[in-house]
Formats: sequence, structure tokens, C-alpha cells
Amino acid sequence: MSFLSSTTLESAPSDVKRPILKVTALRKTHQTAADDLTVLTDVSLSLDAGDTLAIVGPSGSGKTTLLGLCAGLDDASAGSVELAGLALESLGQDARAALRNRLVGFVFQNFQLIPTLTAIENVLVPLELRGESGGQAEAKKLLTEVGLGDRLDHYPLQLSGGEQQRVALARAFIHRPKILFADEPTGNLDSGTSGPIVEMLFDLNREAGTALVLVTHDPALAAKARRVVTMSGGTIVSEEENGAL
Amino acid sequence: MEHSKHKVLPRSLWTALFHPWVWRMAWRDSRSQRLRLVVFSLAIVSGIAALTAIHSLKASVERGIAVEAKALLGSDLRVSSRKEIGANELEKLAGMASQVSRETSFPSMMRFLPDGGARLMQVRGIAGGYPFYGKVETRPVDAWNKLRDGGGVLVEPAILDQFSAQIGDEVELGGIRLRILGLVDKPAPRGNRFSGFAPEVYVNLADIERSGLLTQNSMAGYQVHLELSGGQASRVLKERVRDKFPDTRWRLETPEDRRENLGDALDNFQKFLGLISLTSLALGAIGVAGAVHAHVTRRIQTIGILRCLGCPGYMAFGIYFAQAMALGLLGAILGAGLGIVMQMGLLVALDDELPISVAPSPEWKIALQTTATGFAVCCGFALLPLMRIREISPAVTLRSGGSLKGGFLRSLPIYALLVGLLVMVAYGNDPNWKRALAMVSGLTVAFLALVAVARGLMEVSRRVLAPRWPYLIRQGVSNLHRPGNQTLLFLLSLGLGTFLLVTILSAGKLLNGRLNIQQSEESPNLYLIDVQPDQVAGVEAVLEAKELPVMESVPMVTMRVQSINGVEVGEATGVPRWVARREFRSTYRDSLNLTETLIAGELASERADPNGIVELSLEEKIAKDLKVGIGDEITMDVQGILIRTKVTSIRRVDWSRFNLNFFMVFPPGVLEDAPGVNVVTTRTPTPAASGELQRELAGQFANVTAIDLTLILETVRDLLAKISTVITILAGFTVLAGLPILIGTLLNGRDVRLKESVLLRTLGASAKQVRIILVIEYAALGLLSALSGILLAVVANGVLATFFFKASPWPDAGLLLAAFGTVTMIAVLGGLALSRGVCHHPPLEILRGGS
Repeated sequence: MSFLSSTTLESAPSDVKRPILKVTALRKTHQTAADDLTVLTDVSLSLDAGDTLAIVGPSGSGKTTLLGLCAGLDDASAGSVELAGLALESLGQDARAALRNRLVGFVFQNFQLIPTLTAIENVLVPLELRGESGGQAEAKKLLTEVGLGDRLDHYPLQLSGGEQQRVALARAFIHRPKILFADEPTGNLDSGTSGPIVEMLFDLNREAGTALVLVTHDPALAAKARRVVTMSGGTIVSEEENGAL
Repeated sequence: MEHSKHKVLPRSLWTALFHPWVWRMAWRDSRSQRLRLVVFSLAIVSGIAALTAIHSLKASVERGIAVEAKALLGSDLRVSSRKEIGANELEKLAGMASQVSRETSFPSMMRFLPDGGARLMQVRGIAGGYPFYGKVETRPVDAWNKLRDGGGVLVEPAILDQFSAQIGDEVELGGIRLRILGLVDKPAPRGNRFSGFAPEVYVNLADIERSGLLTQNSMAGYQVHLELSGGQASRVLKERVRDKFPDTRWRLETPEDRRENLGDALDNFQKFLGLISLTSLALGAIGVAGAVHAHVTRRIQTIGILRCLGCPGYMAFGIYFAQAMALGLLGAILGAGLGIVMQMGLLVALDDELPISVAPSPEWKIALQTTATGFAVCCGFALLPLMRIREISPAVTLRSGGSLKGGFLRSLPIYALLVGLLVMVAYGNDPNWKRALAMVSGLTVAFLALVAVARGLMEVSRRVLAPRWPYLIRQGVSNLHRPGNQTLLFLLSLGLGTFLLVTILSAGKLLNGRLNIQQSEESPNLYLIDVQPDQVAGVEAVLEAKELPVMESVPMVTMRVQSINGVEVGEATGVPRWVARREFRSTYRDSLNLTETLIAGELASERADPNGIVELSLEEKIAKDLKVGIGDEITMDVQGILIRTKVTSIRRVDWSRFNLNFFMVFPPGVLEDAPGVNVVTTRTPTPAASGELQRELAGQFANVTAIDLTLILETVRDLLAKISTVITILAGFTVLAGLPILIGTLLNGRDVRLKESVLLRTLGASAKQVRIILVIEYAALGLLSALSGILLAVVANGVLATFFFKASPWPDAGLLLAAFGTVTMIAVLGGLALSRGVCHHPPLEILRGGS
């Protein structure tokens, strides 16, 4: 399925081999009343522009924490994260937010749509945050492409799980991100609904050259990524290529 | 590309607030919450309404005073004296003005003929063209001119009704009979010293002189009204009169003085109302802060998503600050509108009580100022929860259960800003820094105490909880300290609300206590004054014949203070100027009466030697004013004869009792021969008996004035009832301001508790079990909020009673118990109301996040 329009492709990156994400010796420790709890230890990895990476591992292995740190959603206790050549730890919260708005797309397991906005309003938020106007037609087109052309003015509560995730995808794509982070994107969906979602994700990667970082428990989804990193106990225990798990 | 029209994004909070996207998002975000937000905006309505009404009322009256300053006095200068102003002096005064008019006023009994009903009146005898400014309105319209041209009386309409009299009937005043010429609808301006207890009656001054009443009346006041020719300033005339008559003890009043005096009187009224408006405003602001906190807590996930999508913290903050601003503006505008309605209503209701006629029209400038104040207070308080938005991490999108974080220290500048804001509002209400600071400090202390109590409760509930406790109790108690608990917010809003409400109600009770003028069995209710020494036996005989007791029969001599410790009173350091002008009415006796307590020295019990130094007993407050104590010497001028005295005792007097009391008490043997009058008091069982006695006395002793306290009490009660109504309405506003807080507090916890309760229901808990858990939590919160608020109110009441009202510091136990019961019950009922939601909401809807 060709999900992305030619308009969307206009800004696809030309150099696909430069690392878009570089993680070095990352550590994350939570302070608790009793003692410190380390959830990530010495994690390093790198991802080229346009590449795909799946992070797998058991619950509590630190996958989501790593994803959050890579996207600048949280602060690392030690180590460094470079996104498009910019060290996140050197940026303030607002600068990181601006960087995300420019380069990053998100898809969450629990969709994370803003409940008070309609489907089309949710999709438009990233553009509006950039100060861009006139994105209505593009948002409508994207929603039509994900099969929600007749649900533009519906609120998240009025949509099923699969429909909400498709709105989330349209939102993730509208500002043509260079990297897309997806946390269990099909975790809340049945196999019938999740198939098209996965197709759309990889269409974006192929057609727009958007790098893809997936956190998943689903081996079938992980197998679609070019590289697979397995985590356990807060560290990377293995890394494989070509989806050969 | 169609959507590539870049606009420069705001780079700071300030610019974000003017960015259309921020306002668009604020509007979109309010969907599904608008009604709730509007309800919360009502929290500040009552506070702003009270503020607007109070300031507008004052502005309206002051504007009226400014316009009608001369009409308020009726002349350019009023000269008042307790002694008759002689012909020579009058001639000199006439030479300084273009026109003069004389007035003599005094209280006297007046009998209505033919039935003979009698009543104490304030008689005003006027000669000349007074008032020179303004107009006396009468029925018929020419009655005032008729009075000036010939004999007769004008009375107030109510008096005519009371005695079923008619225009044309006759009245008896002293030794003469006069015909009622008409009714006075708008009287001539009054002197400041007018007692206000007796209705006024107007007569021609020539008739007063004929009546023979003046020769024996000790309470007469003499005035000369002066009119200046155009262009001359009344202040200059006042100085000229002062220079020309340096030895007189005249009181001089210009229209400007009258304006200032009225302003001062309004200021006093405003102080108490200011306290109420500040309380309502603070309560409302707390309500708004609680509402915004609840709203932002529900939006944590949304804020996290926006942050994830690249929204800078200040823009996320801007969205919710925009909502708070809209909320504040709506509440402030509604409040100002209500305030204007109240102000106009009060002007209409108090039309008869105001010294001038004020057209009820809105004070737009004041309304604008108070709207701005309310808006600023609302936004300021909303900052407390809003500042925490910047602490919301975008990582909340990855994990559920985010909460608003932010330490007290980081919010310290906001707290400082709010304290400053409240001090400014308090100062605006009552321009006295000390009082403004004291008021806001009280609020701050209460706030900190409640935070401490809340923290203590959380700690205690954490420590005492034991695994052996039944599950329902454990669950209910642990709700007090678990993440997402509402202990702090509940204690702050409900506790502070209870504190403020109970304080206002206690202050009201204290005031009522001070104003409680019910007569006790031992107190007299009829005063017979101006009884000449040779009439005492006769008056007492009339009382005995009617089987009425002679409760007190005391001599009264007028005198002035001449010097204190050898220094002339006018030059004595620290002694107020009025002391030199005041005519003291003193008595002589060798014992204390029931209402007196000796607090220093001893009362002279033996007859004094009139040629030596006389032992004098002073009332404690006058001793303070005169700056004297035991052993100090005071020389008194007793109608031209100087008497040296030494202070040998200080008395405390309970002035709230209606016994005869005096600032200065002499020993027997000194004043017996001085010209004076006697006062006899008695107690009549019924108004009819009082009326009968007064009729008989008026017939036999025309100069004797009977002051019937039951009539005075009636007048005072009428006045107090009006004041009480105004205060009750405004205190009701405070209660109204408290309601949204209560609703807000309950709604605040509703979402979290609803979700938890539904989960418990899903896991098999019965509705009864869920109810028990909620009741335990809300009962604990309600009990502690009520207890803390009431304890703080008790402290505040003690401070107010001790330092302001000089009353017993112990509050009304009934009020405290009622407050405790009500607050606790409301909290528990609120908890139960939540459990109703659990039974009525489909679990799936709530579990999907659609609550």
C-alpha cells in the first residue's frame, strides 16, 4: 500500500547513510526511598538515517526507557544521545521539544491522542506547533489514506483502537519526520487491525527515508526491521541484522 | 507546498500569550469541561461583587458629598456652642457674613392634644433664612415659610401616625401650645452632635423663647449659621472667627469639614466590609486555584503528548494560563456586574439613611478597577498549579499515572506575589498598612498551619497503618497518603474555608455581643433629666404614688478641665484638644455603683474640704486621655469657680449597662452648692405605664425631660437591623464563595476515586464496600479539615476579641459545634455522592478513560 504521497516525499533526506541517532554509554537510574534503581546500564547504539531498528526483550528490560531517552523525553543519568548530530543532554527541555517537532514522529501503544481534539485537529497539531498554516488539505489527505476520510471530525472516544492508532500514524507522518519512534505500536490491536498499521510504518520508512525505531514484543513485527537489538536487565544483550531472529 | 507558510513561533511565555494557536488550543482543550470551568469561575464572583459594591457605594456617596457639600451643612460656616451666644457676639458674627441665622436645639417632651400622648423630641428652633443652601421639603410645600413667618410646629410624618394626629392639631411644648403646620420630608442639615435617638420637631425660635424651656435645659445647643457673599472661602471665614473670638469654646464647621467627617464615617463602615470582601476574594481565589489544579491534573497526559510533539513548556503553560485568564475574566465581569446591582440596590434601600441624596448609577471606573483586581487575584492564584505544568515530562506518554509535581520552594516567588497582591487588596479596602499586613499574615499563618496538618496526617496514616486492620479500613486510611491523594488540597481548601467562615461568623457574634443592649432586670429604662434640686422630692413622690422604684437619684454638675498638674489643658502635652472644649457632667457620691469596679486607689468616702485639695475619682479611659494617674492634680472650672483636685482612684465602668455613670466622681461636700440638675431613674413595667408617668410629669414638671429607653432601643434596633441585614447579605456572599470550593474539592478527587472504585467493583467489591472505603477517607479528611479550620478560627477569634473588640476571647461553643458537624457531614455526604457515581457509571466507560 502506498501510504505516502509525492508531496510528502518532497522533503525526504538525500543522504541516508549518516547516523540520525547515536547513543553512547547510556545509563538511567531512578532514586527510590530505599536505594537507587538502575534500569539502563551502559547502552550504546547507532542508527543511520532511513534505517530500521527493533528493540525487543522481556518486560522490565528497559526498552521503553531507552526509547524515551532516545527521543529526549527523559533525562539520562549518564551517557549521551545524539539526534541528528545534536547532543540532547546539552539542550534544554524546550530546545528538545523544538527538535522533536522538526525531526521526530511518535506512535504509542496507547495511541496518545488528545481527547479534546477531533481526528483532524490531532493530526494538525505538529504543523500548528511549527507555526505552519494551511495544512488542512494535507491532514485530510493523510486521514483519507489511512481510511478515515469520513471520520475527520470524530473525537478519539468515538473511534476504535485501530482507528485511533491510524490517526496517530497520520499525526506522526504529517510533519515528515526524519526518525519515528514507535512504542508497541500494535500492542493494543488485534492481528487484523495491526497488519495495515505495520505496513504504513514501513511504507514511510521506504518511501520517505524516515528512520524507524520500534519497541515491540511481537517477533513478526521485529522481523520486519533491518536490525534487531535484544535487551535484558537494562543492557543490550545481542544485536542482529536483516531481521534474522 | 500548501502548508509551508511558516510563522515565527513565540519564543517566550509573554509572546505565547498573544499567539492565536495558544488561544485556539485553550478553546479546544476546554471542550467537555466548559460547564465545569464556568461553575468554577463563579467562585470569585461573590468576592468581586462584594469588592465592587463596597467601593462603588463609597465612591457614589463621596461623589454625592462633593456635589452637595454646601447643602450638607446648609451654610458656609456653622458656629456651635453649649452656651448661649450673646447679642454682642452675634452682632460681630453678622458683620462678618452676608446673612446669619440662629438655631437652638434641645431634647424636650412634647404633648399631643387633645389626647395628651407625650414623647421625647429633639426641638429645633430656627430664626432667619437657614438653610442657605439646599431645601427643606415639607407637606404642604409652603409650611417651612409659614413656620418662619409665624408660630407653629413641623413634625416628621411617622410621629403624626404614632399619635394619630393631623395637620392643624395642637401640641404642648413647655408652657405654650402650637399648631401643627405640616410635615417635614427632607429636614434641614443637622449638627454632628445630634443624638439621632429622638424625632425632630421644628419651631420658630421666638416660640422657644416663649416656652420657658430653655432656662432649665442643660442639654441645649446653640448655633449660628453664616452665609458668605460670593467668592469668599469658608475656611478663611473660619480662621477669622477663630481669631476674633479666641476665648470662646465654639465649634466651627465648614462644608469641607463636613465632607471629611462623612468620609471618615464611611471609612469605618468600609473597614468591616473590607474584611468580608477580602475573605470572599481569598476564598474564591482558593477555589479557582483548586479548580485549575483539578483541570490541569486531568490534562497531564495531553500536556505530555503536546510536549512529545514539540510543544515548548511555556506554550503548554500558555494554553492553560489562557484558560485561567478567561475563567478569571468571566468571574470578575460577572462579579463586577453583580456588585453594581448590589450597589444600586443598597443605594435605593439606604436612601433614607444617607446624609445626601445619591442617584443610583453604576460606578464604571470602580467596576473596572475591581474587575482588574479580581482578574489579577484569580490569575495569581491560578499560577500555583499552572507553574507545575512546566515540570510535566513528555515521558508521561510512555507510562501512565503521571502527577503534578513541584516543590514549595520553587513556588515561593508565586506565594510572595500572592501575599503582595492580597496585601494590596487589603490596603485598598482599608488604607492602613499595619492592618492590611496583619490580615494577610493571619491568612498566611492559617495556610501554613493547614499544610503542616495535612503533611502530618499523611505521615501518621502511613505509620499507623497495620496489616491486621480490616481491608476496608486499610484502604480508606491509605487513600490519605497514597500517590494521587487529595489530603493537602482538601485540608487547604476545606480547612481554610472553614477557618474563614467561622472567623467571620464569630466576629459577627462578637459584634452582636457588643451591641447587645437588652436591658437587664437591674437596669433602669426611664431617665428623668433636668430635674431641678427643688423638684427632686416632687418627682420622687410621683414615682412612689405610681408604685415605681426610684432606682437612682443623682446630682449632676457641669464643669471643664482648667489645668493638669499646673499646665493649662490647652497646652498640656499629649492631651487631645477636645478635652479643653468638653463640658464634663460630673456627680458626687461616696460609693461605687453596681456597674463600677475600682482598678486603682481608693474612692474617697468622707466629706471633702471644699477649700483643700479634693479627692477625685476618674474613669479609666478618661484618665488615659488626660494622661493622668493616681496622685496627679487636675484643676476644674466649675462654672467660674476653680477647684483643685487630686486623682485618688481610677474606676472601670461597664458602659453597656444603662445605669448613670460619670467620667468624674467627686466626694460629697464640694459640689452641693454648685448650680446643677438632678437625674432620676426608674423602671416601668410596660410602655403604657411609662406613657402614663410621662404624661403626668409633663403636666407637673414641664422642664423635666423623660428619656424612655424602650423608645431609644426601638430606634437603635431598627438601625441595627438594617446594618445587620447588610452584613448578613455580605457574609452570605462569603458562604457563597465557599460553596464552589467545596464542590471543587470534591470534584477534584472524583476522577481518581471513581476510577479506583470502578476497578474495585470490577474486581468484585460490592457497592457497600466501595461506599465504606470512601466514607472512611472523606470522614477522616472532613473531620480534620473541620477541626483544623475551627481551631484556627478560635485563635483568630481570641486575637480579634482581645485586641479589637475588647470582649471575651472564648467563642460561641454552639457555633463551633455546628460548624464542625456541618463541615464533616458535608465531606462525608460528598464522599457518598461519589459512590453514587460508581454505581451509575458503566465500568467499561470509565476504564476506557471516558469518565
